[in-house]
Amino acid sequence: MTIIADHAYLNTRVSVMATQLLEPTEIAALAHLPLPTLAERFGLTAILDAQQSTRARSRAVEQSLIQVLLSELLILVRPMNTAERALVLDWGRKYALFNLKTLIRGKLYDLDQKEIHDNLYELPEYMRLSEDMHTDLFRAENVLELLRQLEAGAHRTLARQAREVYEQQREPFALEAAIDQRYYAALQRHVMAFGDPDLAPLKRLVGAELDRINLLWLLRFRFSYQLSASETFYHLVPSMRLLTRDRLLNLANIETFEGILATLPAPLDRLLAGSKNIVEIQKRIGAYAAHEAHWVLHRTRSGVARALAYLMLRERDLLLLFALAQGQILNLPSAAIEIAVELAEPGCPWAGGRAA
Amino acid sequence: MKHVRLLVLTEDLPQASLALADMESFHPDTRPPTEARLAGLPGREYREVFAQANARLEKIGKLIPVPATPEIEQVRVVDFAELQTLNEWLGKVWNETSSYEEDLRRLDDEERLVKDQQAALANFAHLNIDLGMLRSKTRFLDFYVGLVPRENLRQLEGAIGLAGYILHLYMQQGENAHVVIVGPAGTKESQLSAVLDAAGFQNLPIPQELDRNPAELQRDLDAQRRSIDTQRKTLLETLERWSDPFAGPLLEARRTLMLAEPLVSLDPSIRSAGALAYLAGWVPARSAERLEARLRESLNHPFEMSVRNPTADERALVPTVPVKSRLLAPFAMLVKQYGVPEYGEVDPTPLFAVTFILMFGSMFGDIGQGAVIALAAWLLRKKLGGFWPFGLMAGLSSMFFGVLFGSIFGKEHLLPALWMSPLSDPLLMMRIALGWGVVFLTIACLLAIYNRLVIRNWSGAVFGHHGVVNLIFYLALIGGAVNIATAGESTAGVQASAADTFGTIPLLLVIGSLAALAWHSWQHQQAPISEKILVVVIETLETVIGYVSNTLSFLRVAAFSLNHVALSIAIFTLAGMMGAFGHVVTLILGNIFVIVLEGGIVMIQVMRLQYFEGFSRYFSGNGHEFAPLKFRRGSV
Repeated sequence: MTIIADHAYLNTRVSVMATQLLEPTEIAALAHLPLPTLAERFGLTAILDAQQSTRARSRAVEQSLIQVLLSELLILVRPMNTAERALVLDWGRKYALFNLKTLIRGKLYDLDQKEIHDNLYELPEYMRLSEDMHTDLFRAENVLELLRQLEAGAHRTLARQAREVYEQQREPFALEAAIDQRYYAALQRHVMAFGDPDLAPLKRLVGAELDRINLLWLLRFRFSYQLSASETFYHLVPSMRLLTRDRLLNLANIETFEGILATLPAPLDRLLAGSKNIVEIQKRIGAYAAHEAHWVLHRTRSGVARALAYLMLRERDLLLLFALAQGQILNLPSAAIEIAVELAEPGCPWAGGRAA
Repeated sequence: MKHVRLLVLTEDLPQASLALADMESFHPDTRPPTEARLAGLPGREYREVFAQANARLEKIGKLIPVPATPEIEQVRVVDFAELQTLNEWLGKVWNETSSYEEDLRRLDDEERLVKDQQAALANFAHLNIDLGMLRSKTRFLDFYVGLVPRENLRQLEGAIGLAGYILHLYMQQGENAHVVIVGPAGTKESQLSAVLDAAGFQNLPIPQELDRNPAELQRDLDAQRRSIDTQRKTLLETLERWSDPFAGPLLEARRTLMLAEPLVSLDPSIRSAGALAYLAGWVPARSAERLEARLRESLNHPFEMSVRNPTADERALVPTVPVKSRLLAPFAMLVKQYGVPEYGEVDPTPLFAVTFILMFGSMFGDIGQGAVIALAAWLLRKKLGGFWPFGLMAGLSSMFFGVLFGSIFGKEHLLPALWMSPLSDPLLMMRIALGWGVVFLTIACLLAIYNRLVIRNWSGAVFGHHGVVNLIFYLALIGGAVNIATAGESTAGVQASAADTFGTIPLLLVIGSLAALAWHSWQHQQAPISEKILVVVIETLETVIGYVSNTLSFLRVAAFSLNHVALSIAIFTLAGMMGAFGHVVTLILGNIFVIVLEGGIVMIQVMRLQYFEGFSRYFSGNGHEFAPLKFRRGSV
């Protein structure tokens, strides 16, 4: 059977769902809608609950938008085969890792269980940490106990490293960086296990995403966190597309922000030329990754690649929507909201420096 | 089953939960009440504290043994204050226990490192470096020898390369890679240290005496391991001494939590408004009065208990009481694989048990092999758990049919058959099998009709799948087929066409019932005429083919009884070709082969007939089991 016949249902579903993706003009229009209209249009009733605190409302909106994303993900994985399903579920499983990081952070800063619980995402069954692990971690009384629990599961090596780092310097950064690095490396391995005709579009899609993440991490680690070239490189995930291992080795060794931009491979050099800070880079490379996802969504026939591209774009839209809603809940000035949803150039004083 | 609605004072909830758990007849109904004012969730905080206390006790229990389900000596209320106090106490005990757990883990880590050192020592010999130089920093070079998780290796190699270091891998063991890292001494050292920490690098100290006496070193490392073992033993003894006074209180804590558990289990069903609490559930009709009496006896304040029959809309929510008979229990387990009977639906377990045993025995009739199965089930009863009566009954049934067939371990002439060997009249066996199929399918249709009548689904009972009209069609078809089959027997030499011998009444019934089904289907179609015609024709054809093929399916009952004899003949033929010793060996192996392989196949075939020809007709399996509130242990 051809790929077209194999993925007929999936492709149709993706095409139907893709009609709800936001156009740039729509985002601009949404930015000027009052909160009740926004709530009504996207079913975000939690925004209007004046009884709740600002933080609770904001959290409820985020939860409901992520529920939308993950419920669409579950609809899309239904007609997929095992490998395709595993890849897309793995992509969604990053929210489980967010929960893991929340748990770790909560224990590190000795937050009470209710506060930790309020900051966890409610996830569908397939995307959670295993039930036992989640319960054990949640019920751990302190960070060492939590790390011991973690060490008993699939994240054994991570937990051991984390414990050593924690015992030496009580610094969660290395642990969180390691969790992210392993997550993206595993996602990449999953992609590389695909054969024709899914491999090429998946490499393009996930590669663009990894390039985006690598560049942002590289700049933040080097110039915001002032890490050494060695440590910076260690935390990156070499991509199969533009920012490959050799290129990252070369880039990590460059001492200046401008030098890195000048050494980037095409088309990133052209797209990012003249960027003054990381916020601007984030915006431009985000647009590049979105463009690549749009290309995969509209120009390829691989059902799994199109589904993943749709989910990435949908996630971007929903996060923009969340930024809009949160900005209004917090009564931020419209200029700040427009910067948040990338409709305006950042002009904040903190964004002017080289290392934002 | 009755729906029970209880209104009690909130302060009486713990007492009510104990009474309900003690009665073991209350299945909670988690639907919220219709009254909007009953919106409070009074048990939520209690449940949170219980969950934390329980988790703490479980964690403590991993180091200090606490019986999972001790006797509950006295049923008493565990109020919130007591639960909180217990939780705090358990928290303190866990904090102390946790330090022992941490010490044990540290010893495990130390032991792992020593093991790695021992492995490394064995491999240092293969390392083409002057080990003396690795021991200390030189003026120009830094050396690091140690372990790194394999998955971090490649990334680490690139990262340290940026600091001007090189990595040499000299051994891989388990999840770890043993490496030597060499680079220029000086300014990059702090950078490297951060990378090594991030990569989980563990330093392996190079022993001083390495170049002198490796055997002595090995002894030292062995001594270290022994020392760790001793430390572990001492730590466990200290833990035991330390925990000794806690044994009693922890046991009591377990009892307290068991007493608190019913209220926690009820929590999702409890709603409240002020001091008034509401809970609802399902109770077997015969237990409703006893439950009310028990509550009256237990509760300190007045309460209201209303009892009503389930409404038609609630049918799917009503739980079904599982079969309690010890003999039927293994059959109930097999039925459960298909589903739990809906409330009011006929429980197929007794019918399943009888037909299963009959079919298995008739397809696998042999005194000796049946005895082996029964004996094996008896001997392995501890391993088989509640499943052993199933094996015993299957074996006994096989023995019973073995007596009828006169077969013992495949030998047909040792004992005279009480009836006959299946192979002596295969046609009769097939007729019996077909007759059995007709009876089985008729009973299945009758049950399907009964199940629909119980829920007042009149149309379904008459026109639905396997309803009255279907049954009339099927019996008329069978009647006509019997007429055709017996026509030649009564008037020998007279040739008559099938149409003539089918019989007028059966023919009219077949045509009439098919027409009725087609009409009913036509009435319920919402489609263009051409599509309606297509659907009606296909459905009618499916009805005819379905019943014919389902009946023929039962031919396998005869086929396997014949197959059993044929296999035995084959084994005896093979044995006959051997010498005396080979003869015996072939007979033993052949019988084992028949018991294991054919026994398994017959089992699968009987299950197939039960599930597809039986259950699919009359059993929805959409119900859920009655799971009453009770203490974790049965007896109080």
